Amino acid sequence: MKLEIDWTRCDGHGLCAALLPERITRDEWGFPVLHNTAVNPEAPTAVRRAVAACPALALRLTNEPSESRR
Amino acid sequence: MTAVIERSVGGALTPTWTIGAPRLLAGLDRHAVLDHRAHLEVHGALPGGDLPRLLTLLDASSLAGRGGAGFPLGAKLRALRGQRPTVVVNGTESEPASLKDRVLLRRSPHLVVDGALAVAAALHARRVTIAVHDRLAEQAVRDALSQRPDGSHVRVEHVGGGFVAGEARALARALAGGPALPPGRREHATDKGILLANVETFAQLAVLVRMGWRRFADTGTRAEPGTTLLTLGGAVGRPGVVEVPLGTPLGIVLTAAQAHHTTAVVTGGYHGSWHAPLPNIELSRAGLASAGGTLGAGVLLAVDDATCALGELARVTAWLAGESAGQCGPCLFGLPALARDVQALYQGHPGAVEVALRHARAVDGRGACSHPDGAARFVTSGLHLLHDETELHLRGGCGRPVLGRLPIGAR
Repeated sequence: MKLEIDWTRCDGHGLCAALLPERITRDEWGFPVLHNTAVNPEAPTAVRRAVAACPALALRLTNEPSESRR
Repeated sequence: MTAVIERSVGGALTPTWTIGAPRLLAGLDRHAVLDHRAHLEVHGALPGGDLPRLLTLLDASSLAGRGGAGFPLGAKLRALRGQRPTVVVNGTESEPASLKDRVLLRRSPHLVVDGALAVAAALHARRVTIAVHDRLAEQAVRDALSQRPDGSHVRVEHVGGGFVAGEARALARALAGGPALPPGRREHATDKGILLANVETFAQLAVLVRMGWRRFADTGTRAEPGTTLLTLGGAVGRPGVVEVPLGTPLGIVLTAAQAHHTTAVVTGGYHGSWHAPLPNIELSRAGLASAGGTLGAGVLLAVDDATCALGELARVTAWLAGESAGQCGPCLFGLPALARDVQALYQGHPGAVEVALRHARAVDGRGACSHPDGAARFVTSGLHLLHDETELHLRGGCGRPVLGRLPIGAR
């Protein structure tokens, strides 16, 4: 699985970075920077908790293998 | 290669000329607009064909999308997996330096319609929509549709919006009744039963179906057969929309365009890249990729030694910041920061290069669409190329005015 941010929803609340400091930091404007997007299939509790905590529903776990876009 | 250059008719029209034999621009040396009769006279009737034949043609010719991403059209058709799609011609051409799609829609609309109808017939499409951004193009397409018996199957939709509204997924969303903004989820149009491609892609297909792939591959490179449209602008004596064989060296195009004292070129538009005007750069996707850039939608702009190139970069960067849809934080805050950095550099502030490069890295890949990535690429490649200019500005300026060689805004 993959951790992903819907940038159209993210308002930079910062809860994800507080809950997952080893994966997510914040840029100078307060928006999350993902350092490791790969999540094993039985996603760790901490990851699920961070996804559930996002007030904007912007942080998601997806099954998409790639991030290609066109 | 011999340059066969054709002058277009009509003063108010965007000039068109070609190197080699014209295909997409055929007939435009004699006609302001190809009406249906002139179209048939110049191009002949469109042969019918089923999906297997179309896929064979697309695979053999490696025809790739001409909207910027260069995705193979055959793969896009296959991604529909048998769905009966809506065929959408993306004529929104939101890049201010690009004119080629508008020229096709305004002056050779039947070729574009032919391409769309050929795909629609092969896929048993539910409907065909031509999305346009410009009233002249809209009128030309409506006129064209009224002249042909199969024209009633095609809808024309006028779509508004800025730079990012031309992005494929933003257009698909607008046509479904939503806002003309890129969606947050990275879904492909084909997943939603939409076969969407650029205006020139459909015109190329209409040429390919008529020529067959062997004749189509008479020109161009082995990997990228055929021609491409370029929009030439900036410091050139002969701006306009130009058809050239894929792989034509940059030097030949610049000479034919009467570009003098060229210090830099911008390829691929404002999501593209800055390059030294090396005459050997091949104008193809592969050629520009090996030069570290992109052909994008075929924009080629020359910057000469009369203007301040760093000032030109600053001006376009400010424009790019203004074109953010404001949906995504890193783009909304990062692009104005980047614009301020380049402006500071222009004004000679020490340390601004490092801050600009850091901000460019900070926005790259962090948005719903590729606007921040493209802006970062444009600024980063510009700063690398303009190293000497930057040094001059740190020591008080280059002494040249900013002439606005790089077009921004409505035309």
